[in-house]
Amino acid sequence: MKLGDTQARFAALVTARDSVAEIAVRDTAARAAVDAMIVGDAGLSAVERLDVYASMYFVRLHDVLRGEYARTLAVVGGEAFHGLVTDYLEACPPRDPSLREAGARLPGFLAGHALGRARPWLAELARLERARLEVFDGPDATPLSIAVLSQLPPARFAGLRLALVPAHRVLAARFAIAETWRSDDPASVAPPRETSETLIVWRRDGEVFHRPADADEAHWFPRLSAPDGVAFEVVCAQLADTRGLVGSAARAFELLARWAGEDLIKAP
Amino acid sequence: MDGLSDFPNLGTGIGLRPPHYADVAAGRARVDWLEVISENFMVEGGNPRRVLRAVRERHPVVLHGVSMSLGSVDPLDDRYLDALAALAREVQPAWISDHLCWSSFGGHSAHDLWPLPYTEEALEHVAARIARVQERLGRRILVENVSSYVTFRHSTLSEWEFLTALAERADCGLLLDINNVFVSARNHGFDPIAFLDGVPAARVGQYHLAGHSDKGTHLLDTHDHPVCDDVWALFRHAVRRLGPRATLLERDDDIPPLDELCAEAQRAADVAAGAEAA
Repeated sequence: MKLGDTQARFAALVTARDSVAEIAVRDTAARAAVDAMIVGDAGLSAVERLDVYASMYFVRLHDVLRGEYARTLAVVGGEAFHGLVTDYLEACPPRDPSLREAGARLPGFLAGHALGRARPWLAELARLERARLEVFDGPDATPLSIAVLSQLPPARFAGLRLALVPAHRVLAARFAIAETWRSDDPASVAPPRETSETLIVWRRDGEVFHRPADADEAHWFPRLSAPDGVAFEVVCAQLADTRGLVGSAARAFELLARWAGEDLIKAP
Repeated sequence: MDGLSDFPNLGTGIGLRPPHYADVAAGRARVDWLEVISENFMVEGGNPRRVLRAVRERHPVVLHGVSMSLGSVDPLDDRYLDALAALAREVQPAWISDHLCWSSFGGHSAHDLWPLPYTEEALEHVAARIARVQERLGRRILVENVSSYVTFRHSTLSEWEFLTALAERADCGLLLDINNVFVSARNHGFDPIAFLDGVPAARVGQYHLAGHSDKGTHLLDTHDHPVCDDVWALFRHAVRRLGPRATLLERDDDIPPLDELCAEAQRAADVAAGAEAA
């Protein structure tokens, strides 16, 4: 038996939704193929030996996804989550050598799954959980600090480039997911309000944070996501266009101070 | 191979796992060296990389991978190898190791260590891939025997004959996992002493020790128990037959406090010293 044929047969059986034993019961040809490939004995048949691998494949991935999507799991309950992950692994088997990536497509899958169609905000909750994981070990960068800002000569503020630290995600949500996240009891949480909400997720001193953006931030965060960001003078000018000159400068500096205070902006 | 110069005896170490990140980074691990799972640190930044930098400042570190998929008929993953090479440039590990197994097929990753048939075709295939990996990484690697639960009918070699021939053809070293030898021996009914007596001492660069679970019908390589007496006895035989080597205690589940794990690692050092003196 050629190596490629061995691996094709082994992988198909071990990663199938049904156990190898279930497949062998309904498919005598598959049973014969297993017996022709694997040595069985009185302790464990060939089918049972393959099922050791089948069990490990699913247990490992279910464990990882339960940890990665703990809040989604808490909301839907263990049985429903197990069904979701089983459906997900069948539709989206892992493709990346890193186990961390095995659950990357779950939020998108959940949006089209029966669980997600019944509760459309679930996929957004899962997307927030995934974003927090990605930010946790995203690229390092030195943030622009208030101390550095306070030493900046006034003439340099206009040209100051504002770009978010690379370990961040900007999420556009249709529900008030941040409120749901704060719930102490996700299992009995009420459906979140339907509202247009932008969330910023970022890392500060190794810890991941998220919060809803206000209206100005919801406009600017996607633009500040670009590696080169936006010049502070552009922020000031657009605020002046929308708010008028009175108060726009104060608002611009208020935003800058807030972002620097939260370590959201990359040091130039 | 030029003796064991690529794989010096670093003493006794433990696998670095998340519950111990803070303590080990703070210098509270009373061991000679640390082994890290390469894939856990092939990320862009954040706490994992910060911890690894701190650990590396205090200890020699070895990169141990689980996803190289040396035995797969899929093409080697160049993106993975590039990321591993970049991590190695930063960490400067004492060496790099992975498993004699396949874990990918048809572009999908199993995240498991699937066994190979021990055939001439598989031998040729894996040896060529190890040679390519070593060329890409610019160093010899260690290849570890895995615990297995199936024997392929068309295997024509024993596992130790396969490993011996593989090490010669690929010019790589062997990471001998004593617990895996024990688990596979029980699951397949071969003599673990024959395995240890069958591998060439000059190719063995490291030992692994770990615990397993007895499922009644078979042993499962769970890394969730202390090393059992039978595996300690096998380790003694390995040291007497093959010589002392860098030895690593693995624990991946029901992970005890760091001091407890370090004490078990110290037992490995004591057992090795006793076996060597006997």
